[in-house]
Amino acid sequence: MRAEAVPRVLRILRGYAFTIAGIAIGVGGLVTLGAMSERIVRFIEGGDRFVLGQISVAGRGMGMGAGFTAGGLLPAATVRAIAAVPGVTGVQPQVMLPLNPSTSQFLTLTQELVLGLDLAVLMPNRHYRALPVRAGRFLRAGDRRVAVLGASLAAARGLRAGSRLTLEGASYEVVGVLERMLTAPDRFVFVPIEDAREQWVAKDQLLQTVLASGAAALTAADLNTGAAVGWAEGEDPDAVARRIRERVPGLNVQLPSELSRLLRSSTAFFSALLVGIGALALLIGGLSLANTMAAAVFERIRDFGVKRALGATDLQLAREVLAESLAVTLAGGLGGVALALVLGGAIDGWAARAGQELFDFSPRLLAGALVFSVLLGAAAAGYATRRVVALSPAEAIRRGA
Amino acid sequence: MLRATGLAKSYRAPSGAPIRVLDGVDLAVRAGELAAVTGASGSGKSTLLNLLGLLEDADGGELWFGDERVSALGRAGKSRARGRWVGFVFQAFLLVPSLTALENVLLAARYAGRPAAEARRRALALLEELGVGDRRDHYPAQLSGGEQQRVAWCRAVLNEAPLLLADEPTGNLDDANGAVILDGLRRRAHAGAAVVVVSHHPEVAAGWGAVYRLREGRLEAA
Ligand SMILES: Nc1ncnc2c1ncn2[C@@H]1O[C@H](COP(=O)(O)OP(=O)(O)OP(=O)(O)O)[C@@H](O)[C@H]1O
Ligand SMILES: [Mg+2]
Repeated sequence: MRAEAVPRVLRILRGYAFTIAGIAIGVGGLVTLGAMSERIVRFIEGGDRFVLGQISVAGRGMGMGAGFTAGGLLPAATVRAIAAVPGVTGVQPQVMLPLNPSTSQFLTLTQELVLGLDLAVLMPNRHYRALPVRAGRFLRAGDRRVAVLGASLAAARGLRAGSRLTLEGASYEVVGVLERMLTAPDRFVFVPIEDAREQWVAKDQLLQTVLASGAAALTAADLNTGAAVGWAEGEDPDAVARRIRERVPGLNVQLPSELSRLLRSSTAFFSALLVGIGALALLIGGLSLANTMAAAVFERIRDFGVKRALGATDLQLAREVLAESLAVTLAGGLGGVALALVLGGAIDGWAARAGQELFDFSPRLLAGALVFSVLLGAAAAGYATRRVVALSPAEAIRRGA
Repeated sequence: MLRATGLAKSYRAPSGAPIRVLDGVDLAVRAGELAAVTGASGSGKSTLLNLLGLLEDADGGELWFGDERVSALGRAGKSRARGRWVGFVFQAFLLVPSLTALENVLLAARYAGRPAAEARRRALALLEELGVGDRRDHYPAQLSGGEQQRVAWCRAVLNEAPLLLADEPTGNLDDANGAVILDGLRRRAHAGAAVVVVSHHPEVAAGWGAVYRLREGRLEAA
């Protein structure tokens, strides 16, 4: 009996070849759409992980500088003061400048920015010890006059690793382009902080005057607009951020959780979009699957009549249908997953030439799609069976003739 | 063994008007008896057999298997009664197309809960006896009409049910094979079953029971 089971299942499946193909197409569509939304989820989570990985601080208005970005200056002494706060493990000074002076002076998520990083300090972000590079490399300590570009900015300007870029009259070599993150860094130009400071001074007449007079005792190391701050293992980042706020005056300190909330509201559209895509995929794939499965049962209406005439009870028939629908939806589901992997792989292979990746076939998606199809298939088959056995055997036989 | 009183059945014509097919049929067939039903095409023979086999509910009347009033049973009870009491030969054979000849025959045992190994031995012997033993692994589509009819016959008698209802079981057979089945009907009666056969060969019942004619919704002795 056991030895006969495998060929028996294979034969049942052959009888349902058309149904299995139909289910495979439905599940394939569901998985490809699902994989696209998984990709978007990964993007959004990536941005979220970034802001949750560090405490961002900015200098508060000292009336210095041109008032762009958050406006303030974060002198070297303040950076040292932050580093001395208990729970802080690393402070990376940064200079953030608008790339295009004609755009708004306020920091927005769509603004193109130059971000100068102090490469002598490790990136303190817990989740990103380096930003994900798609082509070329990221900045290294000792670099000068080189730039790494965010994906959108690079695409918009047609720049690649190896291209050259002029910033404030100086020529930079593009050494790398980042992966798309669907967040602010997509529009950033990353440069060594020394280069960013030069750009800042070049942009800012007032700063030039102050530096020349020596009145404010400013040195180059004082020219920071903000810093990324890391915290020690086991510390609560929000608590560390509050501690910095209390102990170091003249700072804007962002709580990671607050920034995360801010970011989430800015990615709300994408979240809604992917919920929509997912719902649509479930609906279309699910309807197609349920319809195919129910049709397969209705197609056998005469056989149900015959089996009931031979004494089959509703329970016996339900068990048969359940076993068959399980085998059929599992086969169709696996076929659909394979179809989606092949299709998505082919499209991604093509998209990779443009540096894109459209699908994320995560294990949870594939497992979810299979479980969903099996459950829905069983439900649809069960529903159709109920309809069929509600008829008298004679009526079922007549209708199936 | 089988007792029907006042069985009535109406269908609706496509126009919506009722067609009274059976209008108070009384029939009693004792164990060991073979009743033959004849009648013009469309007179309601298959309808009567469907009612007797619990394949359809009558609009009125009562049906008894032994001392069990099966017409009063619920859905599940009727299913079980079909499996336990009835062997049915359909006019249109009605083999399940996705199953082989042998598997079709074994279906009867599966739902009646008979032991599989014993059923298999008996099924093979029956197929052999009817001359379709070498066709046991064929699917219905690979069988001739007469071969399908013989397989359907094997399925109906596999369980040796106390009630055998056969709707023109020789309709597609040559004389020799037809004779085998007519002989089979008598043997079932001899073994103690109550047999009702719709046939254009009412002489099958000679010496075994009554011959009836169905006309205008009623059974009359022929
Ligand atoms: N589901 C139905 N709906 C409407 N009318 C029906 C239905 N089933 C049967 N009839 C009608 O009932 C009558 C009896 O049909 P039945 O099949 O019982 O005849 P029969 O005596 O077996 O005929 P035959 O010898 O041709 O097999 C026919 O006139 C048929 O048109
Ligand atoms: Mg008929």
